[in-house]
Amino acid sequence: MIIKRYRSVVVSLQSHGEGIYTIELQSLNGGYKYAPGQFLHLALDSDYDGTGQWPESRCFSMQSNPDETNIRITYAVKGRFTTMMETHLREGSEVWLKLPYGDLFTRDHVKVNTVFIAGGTGITPFLSLFTHESFSGYSNPKIYLGFRSSEHNTYKAELNRLCNRHHYLRFWYQDVDGPINIQQICKENGPNPDYFISGPPEMIKTFTSYLIENGIPDSQVKTDDWG
Amino acid sequence: MGDHSAIRQEIIAKTIQYYKARFDEKEFIPGKTRVNYAGRVFDEKEIVNAVEASLDFWLTEGRFSENFAEKISEFLGVEHVLLTNSGSSANLLAFAALTSEKLGERRLKPGDEVISVAAGFPATVAPIIQYGLIPVFVDVTIPTYNIDIAMLRGAITPQTRCIFLAHTLGNPFDIDAVMQIAEENNLWVIEDNCDAFGSEYKGRKTGTFGNISTISFYPAHHITTGEGGAVCTDDHQLAAIVRSFRDWGRDCYCAGGENNTCGKRFSQQFGNLPKGFDHKYVYSEIGYNLKMTDIQAAIGTAQMGKLPLFCKQRKNNFKEWHRVFSKYPEYFILTEATEGSDPAWFAFIVTLKEQAPFNRDELTMYLNDNLIETRNLFAGNLTRQPGYLNQNFRHASNLDNTDYIMNNTFFLGTYPGLTKEMIDYSEGVLDLFIAGKLHDNKEI
Repeated sequence: MIIKRYRSVVVSLQSHGEGIYTIELQSLNGGYKYAPGQFLHLALDSDYDGTGQWPESRCFSMQSNPDETNIRITYAVKGRFTTMMETHLREGSEVWLKLPYGDLFTRDHVKVNTVFIAGGTGITPFLSLFTHESFSGYSNPKIYLGFRSSEHNTYKAELNRLCNRHHYLRFWYQDVDGPINIQQICKENGPNPDYFISGPPEMIKTFTSYLIENGIPDSQVKTDDWG
Repeated sequence: MGDHSAIRQEIIAKTIQYYKARFDEKEFIPGKTRVNYAGRVFDEKEIVNAVEASLDFWLTEGRFSENFAEKISEFLGVEHVLLTNSGSSANLLAFAALTSEKLGERRLKPGDEVISVAAGFPATVAPIIQYGLIPVFVDVTIPTYNIDIAMLRGAITPQTRCIFLAHTLGNPFDIDAVMQIAEENNLWVIEDNCDAFGSEYKGRKTGTFGNISTISFYPAHHITTGEGGAVCTDDHQLAAIVRSFRDWGRDCYCAGGENNTCGKRFSQQFGNLPKGFDHKYVYSEIGYNLKMTDIQAAIGTAQMGKLPLFCKQRKNNFKEWHRVFSKYPEYFILTEATEGSDPAWFAFIVTLKEQAPFNRDELTMYLNDNLIETRNLFAGNLTRQPGYLNQNFRHASNLDNTDYIMNNTFFLGTYPGLTKEMIDYSEGVLDLFIAGKLHDNKEI
């Protein structure tokens, strides 16, 4: 797919509290093209005119799917750039996007009994796949999701639709259930399926190590760890 | 700083004025104006884009490269388009990609056999030799000038790993048959689409059937960027490998001027390098630097808007040449489109019959003396070229037709700069030549 710059406008902005926001972006120069699970770069520079050096930007997973007109991303205010986003972005704000990047689901992988493990906003690249028609190509997928609490699960609407399609879904709410239990997931699924992991860097590192140490070939552990 | 937009607009307006003064409308004067076989066809849009890109002064891949690649992707309906600095580089990159260790057992290795034809341009064959593989030459059929399918079947051995073929002068090879043979024998297919950008086979664009395909933007081709080419594929892994070979062999896919687009520039481990070594300087292939500049892409972007019309004009010019040469069926074999195809002809190919009372060189010299440019079918028989004499290759069959083409075939242009007036003039010259020859023979 061609990596392209898109002048875009924020068409909606939703605060989930605690510095977590979901924004919806609309392209001003042609439809977005990307695959589920890919990510974009977002630049705030108001002087940038689309030519020359790409300005400072940050990557964000796209949680919308490629069949949707607009793109949705969720970000948490953590550093200087996301603080600038919180300060400057309003409905109607214009930004530059560059996309698509990443090959999370375009890498060769087995689509039978595939295991998806996500923590917090790490679910976003998975949502892009789960809500896309290509997800019907997966047979018996297992989805394990962890959130700090039920209130932090801001994706309930999309996830309910998944439940309605009778997919295997297991939630861990840390305040009630404790953190995601990788030992249990590994035991339930064994060495055969491909495992996708997305979430905080420390979670990805720990889970990846555990799976490999417990006999899952490293080629079967696929991570979305650009963050 | 504040008024650079206004200055830019002024420059663009002047550029349009310049185009009209320098290039607009040229009169054809029979016998004085050359009837070229090819040439760049453009208007003010190409020059304006080139000036815009120059004013951006980004130079390497930038906004125009994005637009150009996207337009090609949409035209062909392919996922990935990697721009490069020539069609030959595109062939080299396409072939090199298939040698990558990332492909595991499927990769091409030195000593493997690759099937091609000798009646063509060396850029289709050179990469095979450069990577230590063995070209296996199969004869072509006349009048399609493409690989003989029966002979292709006979050429397959346990060492065969790939088929690398051009759609000769815009005429698609028998794609159904080639793809079926490839599938049956688990072979890679590289479509050299350099001379066929816009051709169709059974309603689908050539360059979309093989594992990977190439395009040329040299001025003689369907559109031009001066020098330039592209590699196309729907395969994500092959696209990443081609990009790597094109960009020094590096693992990182950031464009020029970009850093850390993957977000893990300093957190990965590669080869025997220390963990966290800068990904921008990690090399996973033995690569080249074969990128296109943004100025070239700017010209290509404007040319893409003209491609459908260019293809139509090429087809019309082909029909005109066909009318001219079909007057002399006793002397000429006229090229035929492969069954099921709709070629955007690169050229009109003519082969002299054995009973013609003149030879190819007599005719082409006469045409050239009258300012009508012709070309032979590229290298004729590649295996007879000095650079190829001592190379390691195999003939899978006799190359009788290839030799016949080497001695008796030439082509005329179909490019969109060619007008009916020019072809009518050429017709008169051809008529005079043949009348003269017949008269000479009677005198004898």
